[in-house]
Amino acid sequence: MKRRKISSTKTAFYVFAIPGLCFFAFAVLIPLIMGINISFTDWNGISTDYNYVGFDNFITVFTDKRIRQPILNSLLFAVLGCAGNNILALSLALFVNQKIGKLGNVARVVFFIPVCFSQILTAFLWKFIYREVITQIFDINNPLGTTTWVIPAIVVMGLWNTVGINMLIYLSGLKNVPVDLYEAATVDGATGWQRFRKITLPMLMPSFNVCVTLTLTSWLREFGMTLSATQGGPGGASRTISIYIFENLYKFNKAGYGQAVSMLFVVFLVLIGTSVSSFFRKREVEL
Amino acid sequence: MIKSYSKKKKIQKAVLIIIGLLLIALFCFPIILAILTSLKTAPEISQSVFALPESFNLDNFREGMETSNFGRSLLNTCLVTFPGVFLIVVCASMGGYTIARNSGTNRFFKLLDKVYLSSLMIPFQILMIPVYKMFKTLHLQNSLFGMVLILTGTSVAYATFLYVGFVKSIPKELEEAARIDGCGPYKTFLKIVFPLLKPITATVAALHVMWLWNDFNIALILLQKEEVRTLTVKQYYFFGEHLAEYGPAFATSILSMIPVVIFFIAAQKYLVEGIAAGSVKS
Repeated sequence: MKRRKISSTKTAFYVFAIPGLCFFAFAVLIPLIMGINISFTDWNGISTDYNYVGFDNFITVFTDKRIRQPILNSLLFAVLGCAGNNILALSLALFVNQKIGKLGNVARVVFFIPVCFSQILTAFLWKFIYREVITQIFDINNPLGTTTWVIPAIVVMGLWNTVGINMLIYLSGLKNVPVDLYEAATVDGATGWQRFRKITLPMLMPSFNVCVTLTLTSWLREFGMTLSATQGGPGGASRTISIYIFENLYKFNKAGYGQAVSMLFVVFLVLIGTSVSSFFRKREVEL
Repeated sequence: MIKSYSKKKKIQKAVLIIIGLLLIALFCFPIILAILTSLKTAPEISQSVFALPESFNLDNFREGMETSNFGRSLLNTCLVTFPGVFLIVVCASMGGYTIARNSGTNRFFKLLDKVYLSSLMIPFQILMIPVYKMFKTLHLQNSLFGMVLILTGTSVAYATFLYVGFVKSIPKELEEAARIDGCGPYKTFLKIVFPLLKPITATVAALHVMWLWNDFNIALILLQKEEVRTLTVKQYYFFGEHLAEYGPAFATSILSMIPVVIFFIAAQKYLVEGIAAGSVKS
């Protein structure tokens, strides 16, 4: 009797894992394996038959002239977006963390509200602002239409949309810094900047780790907002790697090649993500 | 000395408040502009983007609703989001519970935990083309049911990871007591464990409602037909086609903002807690 009960508990533990595992296998594991397979074929995305072409797709990636611009664009997006997002998010967090009464709470809510809006909506609102408002006030061309300013302009949209997330992560990091550290530093005569530089920044390393890794990799993958703001234009000036992969499937009918690009891209993303994350982890201080 | 010090503090505070108000205005500006524009007629918009509307008319909303088939996409988004979040919570709470309780002693669960964790690094781009191919073969393209399956599958690893962390922090004694009292494992989970998981369930649900509601990448690949498009895909095409008709376009965008903002006000606590705890993916 007793043994049966134990074994039924054991079975139950396996049963609990099954539903999640099924969904996971269906949406992640199987496509992942299929993806490896597709990257070795010349599948065009439409027909049912295709041929295996060995490593041809991967070799083409390195000789493909069209891929250079998307790579450079994605890197520029990542650098601008990551720097902008973290500087702004930390400043907003420091501001909200000041003792300024109710205003701080209102500001926190306001900075976070755009996070709830989709990338499409963000792109639409800002396209209007760039086209009708910025051009009128500053008497310049629509920045989304110029090759030099299109990426910074999209980064600004993205900052409005996502900076609230990092602000909250920095804010909870700031709340975890023990107050007595600041008090001790003030007694020792440290200036405000010294306190920030020597106490706040080192203590925030775990938050930096999360925020920098997240923003860097998510900007490298930039897709939806740029697609709906400019379609990668003008003349490919804002085409990112993700848009290029998408176009290989829907526009150029080279799904096999697109998949090979995305395989290499993911290897690169994982390398970047893990090295940035270990860079910050080494600098974390233990109390 | 003390007096000048406190005076300096006061000035500092005033400067901070002014900067704060400016920042708040800057962040609100796009939303306020959208509301203003949605209430104006086409000639009014072309005259000046800042001027207040001359009269309060809701023509843009009516026209936007009619031309965009807005109600249908709103329904589609709901049909995808809520069943998806329900499935995610069911699968992830059970999975997270069993992984947290067994990964220390059982190699299968330890492996499962590692697989879920490392899958968090996989971006959607690598799955885009295979998922498209798989759905084509299974004839699940343009099906909201298929969309729910894929959204649940791509979210379940992360949600499980959140549950594992939480279950590890709650003591086993209650479950053991229930077992001694003759309560079966399924009943124990349903009656004892799941109620204890309420805080993390709220966070998981709130975050995923937000993510699934705003999902664009998967919807763009899978939902091509007009009648199954969710709000994001709908807007993507609608804004592309009706570029010049700002009034109706803004009206529909305001309508699609309202549920999100209401949701945000209701779930703010859980969203903020979840993100502040570092539980965020991109």
